[in-house]
Amino acid sequence: MKKLYKKLRLPIKILKTLIKNSIQYPNKLIVDTIVIFARCGVLLALYWHVFRLNNGIINNTTFLFASWSIFFYFAFSLLNLRSISREFMKDIQTGNVEILFSKPISYLSYRIWWQIGSGIYSFIIITILATVVTALTIGFPPTMTIGIFIPTLILTFICGAILSLFLYTIVGLLSFWVEDINPIFWIVDKTIMLLGGSYLPIALFPAFMLKIALYSPFGASQFVTHTVYKTWQTNWYQLIGIQLFWIILSGLIIYFIFKEAKKKISINGG
Amino acid sequence: MSSNSITVSNLTKKFSFSQKNPSSGWLKNLFSPETKEIIAVDDISFSVKNGERIAFIGPNGAGKSTTIKMLTGILFPTSGKIDILGFDPTKDRKKLAYQIGTVFGQRSQLLPNLPLTDSLEFFGVMYDMPEKEIKKRIAELIKLFDLGSFINQPVRKLSLGQRMRAEVASSLIHKPKIILLDEPTIGLDVVAKKSLRDLLLKINNEENTTIFLTSHDVGDIESLCERTIVINHGIIIKDLPTQNLAKTFIYEKYIDLIALNNFNNFPKLPEGINYSSKDKNKITVIIDINKITVQKSLKKLLDLFEVEDIDVYNADLETVIRHIYEKAL
Repeated sequence: MKKLYKKLRLPIKILKTLIKNSIQYPNKLIVDTIVIFARCGVLLALYWHVFRLNNGIINNTTFLFASWSIFFYFAFSLLNLRSISREFMKDIQTGNVEILFSKPISYLSYRIWWQIGSGIYSFIIITILATVVTALTIGFPPTMTIGIFIPTLILTFICGAILSLFLYTIVGLLSFWVEDINPIFWIVDKTIMLLGGSYLPIALFPAFMLKIALYSPFGASQFVTHTVYKTWQTNWYQLIGIQLFWIILSGLIIYFIFKEAKKKISINGG
Repeated sequence: MSSNSITVSNLTKKFSFSQKNPSSGWLKNLFSPETKEIIAVDDISFSVKNGERIAFIGPNGAGKSTTIKMLTGILFPTSGKIDILGFDPTKDRKKLAYQIGTVFGQRSQLLPNLPLTDSLEFFGVMYDMPEKEIKKRIAELIKLFDLGSFINQPVRKLSLGQRMRAEVASSLIHKPKIILLDEPTIGLDVVAKKSLRDLLLKINNEENTTIFLTSHDVGDIESLCERTIVINHGIIIKDLPTQNLAKTFIYEKYIDLIALNNFNNFPKLPEGINYSSKDKNKITVIIDINKITVQKSLKKLLDLFEVEDIDVYNADLETVIRHIYEKAL
C-alpha cells in the first residue's frame, strides 16, 4: 500500500495542482461548457430532425440511442486527451523537454498524467451538467438502466482513455523525427472522430465501416459510444478485449519509439 | 568517495541532420536526403572537484549547452565517458536527477498560473521528499532567497529577477550536490544579477554545492567562478583559474593618457603601439610587449603627448575572453 502511494504520489499531485489551476481560472470552464453545449446541441438537433423525417427509426435505432452515443463521444472528448500529441511537439520544438528530462521522472508518464489533469476538471463538471440536461430533455434509453451498464461503461471508458492517450502519444513522439506533426495528427484525429461516431452515430454506419470501427485502434479508442446500444450487452467483453489488445500493442510501440526518440533529442544550443 | 563530483573523459557529441540539395530533385531530397554531420563536442576531458565553482564558457555554438545536456543525461554522447557523483547519466538519468539541480536561463520550470509555493511543493513531491521536509526546505529557501514578498503571487506576475531567483530556489528544493546553470543571468538587470550571484555564492559556501555555470556574462565568471574552462568548436582551449585568465594575454597592456590641455593631433605611433580610442581629453593605446617594453612605450608616448596623468593596466576579462574566442576562430 505504501509502495502504491509512493508511485501514485506524483500523479495525484499533478491532478491536484491542475485542478487547483483550473479552479483559479474558471474562464476556460465557461468557454468549454459553451462550446460543448453548442457543438453537441446542434448535432443532436440535426439528428432529431433526421430521425423525425424517417418516422423516428433509422437502421433499427431510435434518436434516444443515437443521441446518447453522440453524447458519450463529446463527454469523452472533454478530457482533451488528443492534445497530448501537441504537448509532445511543443516540448520538442521549444526545448522544454530538457527541463523534464533533467527531473527524476518518467517523461512519458508525466506527460500522460499532466494531460489527464488538464482536462479532468472540465470533464467532471460539464459531464455532470450535460448528463442532467440530456436526461431531462430526452430521457434515458432502457440499456442504460441495467446493472451491467455502469461498470462496463467505466471499464471501456478507462480502456478508451488509455488507448487514446497511447495513440496520440505515438503521433506526438513522431516530433522527434518530424518537425511538424500536425498533418499526421489531423489524419489520426479525424479518423478517430469519424470511427468514434462523432459525425455519424455508429448505429448508422455501413457494415464495412462498422467493422473498421470495431477492429481498428482508432475506433476502439471510442468504444464508449457503443455502450448505449443493445449489442453492447452481449459483446462488451469482446470489445474490451479488442481495446486491451490495442493498448498492449500501442504500449509496445511507444516503448520502442521512445527508446529511439531519446537518442534523437536535439535542442537549440545543443 | 572520490573528491571529484564530475569527471568527463574523451566526450564527443556529433549531430547529424538531413540537408536539402538544391541540385537534386524533390523526390531524391525526400527519400534520400544528404546528411550533414556537426561535431558539437570534440573529445573533451575535464574534472570538477566537490564544491568547486566552474565557469564553462565559449561563444555561441561552442558546445557549452550540449556538454551540460550530456552531463544531465538529456543528450546521449556519441562517445566518451561521464561520471557525475558516481553515476553514468546515460544509464542512471533518474538516479542522478535526485543529486543535481538544473537551471536553464531561457526556460522556466515553474507553474505560471499558480503561486510560487505550489511550484516548490510540486518539485518537492517530484523529488520524493516527505511533506514535512518539503515544508521545512521551502521555509529555508524563502529565507535564503528572500522570496517572502512574492511567494504567494502567481509566477507569471513576477519580475524577471524574481522569477530567476524562484527558478534557482526551485532547483535547490532537494538540496542537490551539484547545480548546473545554463546562462542563469540572461536578461537580468545589474541589481538582479548581483543578487543572484550572491545567492549562488551563499549556497556554495553554506551547502558546499558544486556550481557548474555557462554564461556570456563576464560578471558571472569574475564574481562567481574560481575556475574557467573555455570551449570553442567543441574543443577545450583553456582550463585555468579565473584569476589567471587575464594573464593569458599579458603581452597586451593598455595605457590611458589624460590630456594636460587638449589633444589636438594624433600622430602615427611607433611599432608595437596602437590607438584603442582617441579623443581630445583622453587617449587609450594598446601596447604589444613582445615588440616594445612598457618603459620604452611610456618614453615615446611622453615625447609625443603632453599629459596630466597616465594609467597602465591589463586588458579586462571581457577583452581577454574576446581575444581567446577570436584567436580560436
